[in-house]
Amino acid sequence: MDENRSHRLQANALKIAHLLTLFVAMMIICTPGLWIVLNSFRPTVEIMAKPPVWIPNELNLDHYRAMFGGIGEGGVPVLTYFRNSLIISVTSTIIALLVGMAGGYAFARYRFRGKSAIFIGLMVTRAVPGVALSLPLFIVYARIGIIDTHFGMIITYVAMNVPFTVWLIDGFFRQVPKELAEAAEIDGCTRWQAFWKVEFPVAKAGIASAGIFAFLTSWNEYALASQLTRSVTSKTMPVGLLDFTSEFTLNWGGMCALAVLMIIPALILTFLVQKHLIAGLTFGGVKG
Amino acid sequence: MKHLAHGASALVLGLVCASTAMAGEFDGVTLEAKLIGGQQYEALYARIPEWEKATGAKVSIISKKNHFELDKEFKSDVAAGTTGWCVGSNHSSFASQYPTLYTDLNGLVPAEDIAGFVGANLKAATLNGKLVMLPRAQFDVSALYYQKDLYENEENKTKFKAEYGYDLAVPETWQQVTDQATFFADPPNFYGTQYAGKDEAIVGRYYEMVVAEGGKLFNDDFSPAFNSEEGVRALNWFVNLYKAGAVPAGTTNYLWDDLGNGFASGTVALNLDWPGWAGFFNDPSASKVAGNVGVAPAPKGSSGARTGWSGFHGFSVTEDCANKEAAASLVNFLTNEDSQKLESSAGPLPTRTAVWDYVSEQAKGDPYRAEVLAAFKETAATAFAVPATPYWIEATNLIYPELQAAILGDKTAEEALADASDEVDEMMQENGVY
Amino acid sequence: MRRIKLPPWLVLLLPAIIVLMAVVLLPLILSLYSSFTAYRLTRPDSLYRWVGTYNYEKALTDAKFWAAFGRTVLLLTIALNTEMLLGLGLALLVSKVTRGQRTLRTMMMFPMMFSPILVGFQFKFIFNDNVGLVNNALQSLGLTEQAIPWLVDGKLAMFSIIFAEVWTSTSVFAILILAGLYAIPKDPLEAAKVDGCTSWQTFRHITLPFIMPFIYIAMAIRSLDVARAYDIVQIMTNGGPARRTELIWTLIGRTGYVDAKMGYANAMGYTSIFLAIFFTVYFFRKLTTARNELGMGG
Repeated sequence: MDENRSHRLQANALKIAHLLTLFVAMMIICTPGLWIVLNSFRPTVEIMAKPPVWIPNELNLDHYRAMFGGIGEGGVPVLTYFRNSLIISVTSTIIALLVGMAGGYAFARYRFRGKSAIFIGLMVTRAVPGVALSLPLFIVYARIGIIDTHFGMIITYVAMNVPFTVWLIDGFFRQVPKELAEAAEIDGCTRWQAFWKVEFPVAKAGIASAGIFAFLTSWNEYALASQLTRSVTSKTMPVGLLDFTSEFTLNWGGMCALAVLMIIPALILTFLVQKHLIAGLTFGGVKG
Repeated sequence: MKHLAHGASALVLGLVCASTAMAGEFDGVTLEAKLIGGQQYEALYARIPEWEKATGAKVSIISKKNHFELDKEFKSDVAAGTTGWCVGSNHSSFASQYPTLYTDLNGLVPAEDIAGFVGANLKAATLNGKLVMLPRAQFDVSALYYQKDLYENEENKTKFKAEYGYDLAVPETWQQVTDQATFFADPPNFYGTQYAGKDEAIVGRYYEMVVAEGGKLFNDDFSPAFNSEEGVRALNWFVNLYKAGAVPAGTTNYLWDDLGNGFASGTVALNLDWPGWAGFFNDPSASKVAGNVGVAPAPKGSSGARTGWSGFHGFSVTEDCANKEAAASLVNFLTNEDSQKLESSAGPLPTRTAVWDYVSEQAKGDPYRAEVLAAFKETAATAFAVPATPYWIEATNLIYPELQAAILGDKTAEEALADASDEVDEMMQENGVY
Repeated sequence: MRRIKLPPWLVLLLPAIIVLMAVVLLPLILSLYSSFTAYRLTRPDSLYRWVGTYNYEKALTDAKFWAAFGRTVLLLTIALNTEMLLGLGLALLVSKVTRGQRTLRTMMMFPMMFSPILVGFQFKFIFNDNVGLVNNALQSLGLTEQAIPWLVDGKLAMFSIIFAEVWTSTSVFAILILAGLYAIPKDPLEAAKVDGCTSWQTFRHITLPFIMPFIYIAMAIRSLDVARAYDIVQIMTNGGPARRTELIWTLIGRTGYVDAKMGYANAMGYTSIFLAIFFTVYFFRKLTTARNELGMGG
């Protein structure tokens, strides 16, 4: 009896410690972000006050109202930036996933000469410093006339995300036992059918996480976008953030308001897509 | 000719008439423009349709970015050879970096229109005899913002007098700023003053201090001249305030936004800052010191000269522009009296003599605005631009880490300046300046 | 019409190769060339002034370059290891929760929604010594009487940057490791339980080896990306004060665009690519070994 009780006590203590640690960890993760959300609703005078104002005296939508206002009243073409960001990020993510699935499958399923070298070659392209890339890219794009276009941004982001998606998807395909696909082929499926019916569903978790990463990278990228976009025809939201700065001033409250608009769609998408990660949960059964 | 009558009725100034009188002369022309973006700058662009209507031309804004990004883009354009667009935003501190990009506006813009600008601004817009831009109403020089109640407090007055032997009053010299900043400071809750601590910003501040101390940053051949007695004195002003704890400990990482937010938070007594903040500081929804802000002309250094590092935004026409006349007409329009009146009504300072008078007149009923304008006008009278070398920005990148090293105590002022001087000298020689 | 029959693996890889050639390789060749010239952005004709290895010699003998190089390696090492450990911890914590996983996972990925440029501004204000969140909190709680100069003191400034970097990127590790945890077969875990293994033993001998490939994937990808943390550092400190937080990337960015010395900047860039290649190859090796141990090699 006694032993049982102390065992239970111990288990309970562990549980509480676990929840407490989790709570603290989530606090640290969320506080800096929530601070931004809070700032977007506060008058500037309270954001950087000293002595600090911990409990907001006043919350209002002034920064949002100003942002959607006209030129000269603090207005920023948010909706256009939003549209640009959405088109560019979604398209480039889809393309990067398709290209990545093809590449990842090749690495996971085929043996060929120079495989490691090709693989590393692909990966190293991601290591190229943005500075070494941005100017020549600008020159090439300006010459062929795709500067400041959606197309230019999309292929740039596809290239940026492909090494990542190839790698990640490769990792997940490797975990699908070869025998599974082979069995399907024996049952009369073509390799293509075997892929879609057997391997793809199992690797869906990997594809979903690769998709999230690719989307978020494109959605948030600034350095190249600032170089390759210049006007409302293709400027994305991270570049638009800088509209709140002038030579000597910076409107932090306004920036936070735009930041919130950037975060919300990303958050929703993540929330929706991440459920596919659960597909990985059934995995144990497959392997065993 | 309906639109002519329309334009003329809008405002009846000779300059506007001059440009609208040529209505329709640029029919079918499309000008590509790269303009500085940002809330403060865009109100002016709402006037562009007026010019389009008057001349028949079209303006297509192909780029709108903040100044530093625009600078990057101009350099990339020069590199790529894609400079066929026509009108670009420019800045006096950056203009000398693009010697081949922009054309001479003398001759393209009527001489009487040019004559209306403040002489010192025109001089700074002229590089090697070429008038590379027309200044817009975005003139910047720094004056001293302060918290008024500090100077009305009797306890402060008696204590200060006992300690420093003279009456506490709004400072007129940088020595007084040092005394008062040290006196007011109560870290970490309150600081005497603060300064921009990195990039071109601190070098600009240092540059004006060297001038106020009677020294020079560069000799006439652009060899470094700051490793001098005056240069050391100027640097020690920054060093001593930092050592005394009279400035925030993070000041070496501050740029303009940090400084403005710091003063607005009510934790800084004296703040040398730009005119763009005047409205912000006195706005109760943005600033804790609203209603308590005083503005005085920039203090003087030991040589009797005021500090007065200045700059301004303007518009330029590219050398490769297919229709320079149309482009020059647009630039002229964006910097004419009406445009400057519109832009300076929101706070920025004009660059035309007539508009200075106009805004002073307008401010009569508003004591704060009148005080701001008076202080900046006084400072502007002796203001000076950055040295006109294409290597100015590159030089600042060599100088500022050394200034920071001295301020943080990694080096003595003498060592830091000697090192900076050597580096700048080497850079200038490598670039074949002398 | 005769079609050339390409091996299937090449057909599958071709799209990736073509895109990367066009967007990365071609521009790279251009900038490789320019690193051997006295190229200045503002003087296009200088692109044809061949200076041989002058730029490389200059970079390799420049103490400032090596200081920035060393600091970058230090930052990479500390940031990556911290992220990995925290990410592993976080993933384990989250995986043990039975209810509300979906919300927790989304919260866990919250920092990834933030654009690096926003993170830069955010932490610049949070670590501001005068009106920043951290100092205000510490002073309100009575933990310190001073205004701690987070972004100025050499060690604290590096700490602040690493903190910002870790804050944004721990999620990447956490989510990948979490995906790995889900993929662990249940049988060995149950067998271990039956055999009376402690939870530490189970973790050490079953869980950890299985998620190792995921850790290496995350490591390698992050090691390449951490070098791109340029936006964050540039806004927080821009390498200052007095070069205390100068990284290769801020140095190159300033030299290339602000000073317009693109040739020299590219030479420094190429030298530092080796750093990235080293890290990639290192983790790739690790990845292959880990996979082979699990019988997933190929």
